[in-house]
Amino acid sequence: MTNENFVSLRDLTLAYDKTVAVDRLDLDIRKGELIALLGPSGCGKTTTMRAIAGLLTPRSGSVHIDGRDVTRLPPSRREVGLVFQSYALFPHLSVFENVAFGLRLRREPDLDAKVMAGLETVGLTDFAKRQPADLSGGQQQRVSLARSLVMHPKVLLLDEPLSNLDARLRLEMRTELQRVQRETGITMVFVTHDQSEALALADRIVLMRNGAIEQAGTAEEIYNAPVSGFAADFMGFETILPNEAGGGLAWRPGAVVLGSGPHHGEIRGASFAGERREYVLESALGTIKADVPVSLPRYEIGQTIAFDLPRETAVELARLD
Amino acid sequence: MFENRAIGLALVLPAAIFAAALFLLPVGILLSEAFRTETGWSLSAYGEFFASPRNQTVFFRTLKLATLVAAVSAVIGYAAAFAIVSLPPTSRGRMFGLVTLPLMISPVARTYAWLVILGRTGFVNQILVDLGLIETPIRILFTETAVFIGLLQLFLPLMIISLVSAMENMPRDAVPAARILGANWLQVFWKVILPLTREGLVIGGTLVFTGSMTAYITPAILGGSKVLMLETLLYQRVTVANDFVAASVIAMILIVMSFSANLLLKRLATARKSR
Amino acid sequence: MNSRLSTWIILGLTLTFLIGPFLIIIAAALSAGNNLAFPPQGLSLKWFIKVFEVESFRASFGVSMFLAIFGTLAALVLGIPAAYAMTRFKVPGAETVKLIVSSPIIVPGIIVGLALLQYFVIPLGVGIGLALFLAHTALILPYAVRVVSASMENLRVDMEEAALMLGCTRFGAFRRIVLPNIRGGVLAAFILGFVTSFNQVPVSLFLSGPGLRTLPIDMIAYMEINYDPSVAALSALLAFMSIGIVFAAERFIGLSRYV
Repeated sequence: MTNENFVSLRDLTLAYDKTVAVDRLDLDIRKGELIALLGPSGCGKTTTMRAIAGLLTPRSGSVHIDGRDVTRLPPSRREVGLVFQSYALFPHLSVFENVAFGLRLRREPDLDAKVMAGLETVGLTDFAKRQPADLSGGQQQRVSLARSLVMHPKVLLLDEPLSNLDARLRLEMRTELQRVQRETGITMVFVTHDQSEALALADRIVLMRNGAIEQAGTAEEIYNAPVSGFAADFMGFETILPNEAGGGLAWRPGAVVLGSGPHHGEIRGASFAGERREYVLESALGTIKADVPVSLPRYEIGQTIAFDLPRETAVELARLD
Repeated sequence: MFENRAIGLALVLPAAIFAAALFLLPVGILLSEAFRTETGWSLSAYGEFFASPRNQTVFFRTLKLATLVAAVSAVIGYAAAFAIVSLPPTSRGRMFGLVTLPLMISPVARTYAWLVILGRTGFVNQILVDLGLIETPIRILFTETAVFIGLLQLFLPLMIISLVSAMENMPRDAVPAARILGANWLQVFWKVILPLTREGLVIGGTLVFTGSMTAYITPAILGGSKVLMLETLLYQRVTVANDFVAASVIAMILIVMSFSANLLLKRLATARKSR
Repeated sequence: MNSRLSTWIILGLTLTFLIGPFLIIIAAALSAGNNLAFPPQGLSLKWFIKVFEVESFRASFGVSMFLAIFGTLAALVLGIPAAYAMTRFKVPGAETVKLIVSSPIIVPGIIVGLALLQYFVIPLGVGIGLALFLAHTALILPYAVRVVSASMENLRVDMEEAALMLGCTRFGAFRRIVLPNIRGGVLAAFILGFVTSFNQVPVSLFLSGPGLRTLPIDMIAYMEINYDPSVAALSALLAFMSIGIVFAAERFIGLSRYV
């Protein structure tokens, strides 16, 4: 093992009854990396995460963590932490006891100090005596985070860590997760269906589709150079057309030129979005979404206008689907 | 949901084996008694059972009383349930508690009370004599009337509970809206309340009907040997005549009745969930 | 028509019918006379005292108490794992198992008692006491499974998974996380089972032997011979006991949430 494959999934296959959820997946995660498993629901991202946690047993393939084969080990012996989407705090225990839960099982010395240090990391030392039910969603999540962190897991898994929070808390939590990761150097894997979360938070994104990896790479790589129509669609390319080579071309709404060009379309929708105006056009090429600076001329719904999909602003896709 | 089926099975097996060995097996053997004859399997026991005029009387009496109790409890139940849901929330809760209270009391105690009330020297006869309506006490105990009253008191709470929860799920403004549109109370009941609470009525009716059908204590204490119902007949056949074939036939009747009522309930419950 | 007035008239009549007889029992039990009558002939507590002096009542009360407590405990010992399995695992044939476990509710008690006597007690030489205990356990089992299942369903599975992640074994997660959080449901099941068992008559009808009767059966037997108010006094006491237990349960755990 090197730092390159601190966590390594080999030929991993998982199935529920007869449906295959993850199909022969290979993935290496570096030590200290913050990685996002991204994809729509049903793509196998949560299943993959639960297989790393040990909550699911693979049908075939293996999971290695820090050079050790943990495929057949129960969750308790994998040294992996998991922050649940619902936080899963124990309702009958105080915040302190929630954080102390795993440490007590290990009979660790200096329990008080370790628990308080854990709460300190997430800024909740004043809440030690409270019950989980008295906490807000964001606070509960931080308790859940502290509860995992005090165990010093080799890998910390987070299931949709930002999805239950409102916009302001989401930003706060994002910063917090990055800070924790920086300070502790822990390897983090989080699952999300939201590309903007993945882009903002992850060092590397693993885009999944139908139980397999569609594309893996840094945020910039995937954002700027999606390999397929699926990846492009997920990364915000709204107009995807086939090219001559059997692959595809993709444009973001901002790459569409309005007012001139070889194509014509009827404006079906128009909305004002601050510095830009967004249009929906119906054309022979299909539905086109475009947004242009407000300084450009304004079109009305029902108007038919010329537009262009310039080759030079398009991204080439290896596959169209 | 955990994956391991073996553990799941191991956890339910003790309970399942226990129930199967202590319930299904002995009850199954009992039920098979009626089909077994010296020469093989036959349905003749059922024919013989129903050929007896006394058994017929008991069978139809049980059906009649159970139906009557269900019907009357529905009428009283609607009035009471409507009165309860029209109360403000705190007194509604209290009233609901009072109505369900009798369910906690031993049926023996509840039935025994009617001995005091309906007996020859009981409360009712005393009043009637004192008022000069009758000269000598009349027989109320050991009549179908006594059994009917006892069963009604025993099972009415079940009907009220079912109807109250059905009415609580009714759209709040349905009744006032119908009144504003000019419907009189009878029309409101037939066109609004009854359709919207039909499920509660069926659930309550089934509970009351099967309860009355399979009641033992009430017919035993208030009906005695004069007013036998299926369960008291079963007891009598076994203790007096050691007649297990009759017991087996009665058991089958009771189980089929309860089981179909239960299936009906379950179907209704799932129909409601899927909606 | 004044609808408030009619509301109270309806409720007054209904409650008189439902609860009135019970009040009459209490009054009759307070009688100083020797015969069951209402209104009572003079007031005294002698019948309430007499109840405690009747040897058979004391014995059968003990039998009923034992059955209600230990029958319910046994039902919980069988029922909690079953409820856990049915709410957490994919059990093969789950529907069949559910049907088997709930069959004691569907089959009328008198039939169960008779069947047990005839095909279990007599051929196998099992004691009546053991048969009574097993019958009561089986009778309570469906209630135990149902009430406990309901509170387990309300407990999110990911809490147990969180415990596993923090180092618990599966049994440890059950003991440390599931049990403390379904305490209310288990207590509710216990109370429901206790009251059901204690008041149960039909199952015990055929399962009584000399010196071994449940209290309700004993009361029926007593009232067939005697016409004094002691059964009224006993009925009143039992009713107060049941109501007291249920009220306390409602107050401390909110029983009605679980039933």
